[in-house]
Amino acid sequence: MSTFKGIDLFGSGPHRFRQGVQGEDVVPNYILGISVSGSTPVGTLELDVVVAGRLVAASEAALWALRDAWTAQLAHPPVPGALIDSHGHEWEDMSLIAYEEAPPTDRGRARSIAYQATFRRFNSV
Amino acid sequence: MLILNPRHVTFAAATWPDVTLITLSRRTTRVVLDWSDNGPHPTFADCPEQRTDIKLMMEVQRGDLDGPRPGDTGTLAFFTSPTTADGARRRVSMTAVVVGVGHEVSLKAGAVRTIDLVAVSSDGAADPVTISSAD
Repeated sequence: MSTFKGIDLFGSGPHRFRQGVQGEDVVPNYILGISVSGSTPVGTLELDVVVAGRLVAASEAALWALRDAWTAQLAHPPVPGALIDSHGHEWEDMSLIAYEEAPPTDRGRARSIAYQATFRRFNSV
Repeated sequence: MLILNPRHVTFAAATWPDVTLITLSRRTTRVVLDWSDNGPHPTFADCPEQRTDIKLMMEVQRGDLDGPRPGDTGTLAFFTSPTTADGARRRVSMTAVVVGVGHEVSLKAGAVRTIDLVAVSSDGAADPVTISSAD
């Protein structure tokens, strides 16, 4: 079962995990005020993990409960926690930084809506 | 749904005679499919947008300058039964909109008018087709 901080936000429907770009954070020199062409490595990129999925419920109210559970996790400052995928892989110290829905709400046999959630491991946290 | 030789077909205030067949086709205009991280097969499928198309064919016995037109709307209703007898007779009805009217003429079949309609739900959730006992 996939979880974030021990909470099952994903389980109502299918969802897939992917990692963002990893590597060096390279900044163009002109942004750093260096008057030499080129760029400067300033450190490692922060790790992003993106989960794309679908919330599925039997009723409109039940779907809102699932959506509200997601938005309840959005906080400032973000509170990091463990993100675990359905195969048990764990990313420590991940913060939920964005939750975006892809309308419309689909009303067929079930009520459902697609979403994408972005988690980040901040270097400074 | 295929109805051969339905008896007494009405649309809005008109009665359509000599109807030879009616078909009701249901299809999805948008399918939602989603996969999980566990394998190649979708774990969620749904049909959140559907349409019900009706095709009605009728013999035209004489010239007609006042046939149905695209955009016309009303209740399409007809009666049908398994054996064309009165037993187990059902009334099928729906609010429908005419989306096409065509004609074919041949020596063998004579003049045949084909009317295409789309069924409309009362609120988006209710099935547009109502089937009730005619007894």
